[in-house]
Amino acid sequence: MPRYFRELSIIALLTGIGVAFSLFSGLAPLPWAEPELAPGEIQLVDARALDVLWVDARSEDDFNADHIPEAILLNDDYWETGIVELMGAWLMNPRTIIVYCGSESCGTSKRIADRLREALPDAEIYSLKGGWDAWVQ
Amino acid sequence: MGAINKKSLFVLIARLVLAGVFVMAALPKIQDPIAFAASVAAFRVINSDLSAWVALFLPWLELILGLGILLPAIRRTSAALIGLLLFIFIVLHTSAWVRGLDISCGCFGSETGEAASDYRWLILRNALLLGATLLVLRQDWRNSVLIDN
Repeated sequence: MPRYFRELSIIALLTGIGVAFSLFSGLAPLPWAEPELAPGEIQLVDARALDVLWVDARSEDDFNADHIPEAILLNDDYWETGIVELMGAWLMNPRTIIVYCGSESCGTSKRIADRLREALPDAEIYSLKGGWDAWVQ
Repeated sequence: MGAINKKSLFVLIARLVLAGVFVMAALPKIQDPIAFAASVAAFRVINSDLSAWVALFLPWLELILGLGILLPAIRRTSAALIGLLLFIFIVLHTSAWVRGLDISCGCFGSETGEAASDYRWLILRNALLLGATLLVLRQDWRNSVLIDN
């Protein structure tokens, strides 16, 4: 048993040294620091201050269960119908478009936002940091 | 004697494969802990604050265990911890599959924006690695009994 405890101590020590290296070299951010925004992302608090056209990039089931008021369903499966509706709404009243998906890192909102930037190069488009989880919190 | 050598060779290969997989999995995550934290958070098992801590410690632990399974001084405990990690990964992937989460694995660093994980393949891969770990652990346990006696 002391042998396993000794081995465990060595592993813990080496892991600790590695973690310290990541923190002091700047490779990893401090876990207790406020996370930075990725390019093209927007915080919910900033989004609320804008006149926003919301785009829901989650599944149709999730959208039907609940969504941000007046949000337009637009994901890879409903691209053709969703983009027509979105363009109509945006051309009637051009404003900031914010895409959201399910959670912090679902990835879909970033992908849809990228596609929208190609389809609507004049529009200001963001993906919502934290996604739907941030909205319901 | 030939059978023993063959078995030892098989265990050595299993040990090298485990070392390679864990080191290769650790390096990209050490280089990009932010993306890995996002992958951890996507499993919706722990909150994003805790995900940052996991993303900081887990890749280094994987690296040390990957190297440690080759080092006589710590190889027994390294193998045991690798087995424990693989079991946890299998449980997490099964849980994400059952909950229908549309997420990428994050096993070898950031895969954000790529297609969702093929859970069957991930679980099978980790189960095979777990089997290899048990093989290594059995040999290490037998060797330690021989040394103790």
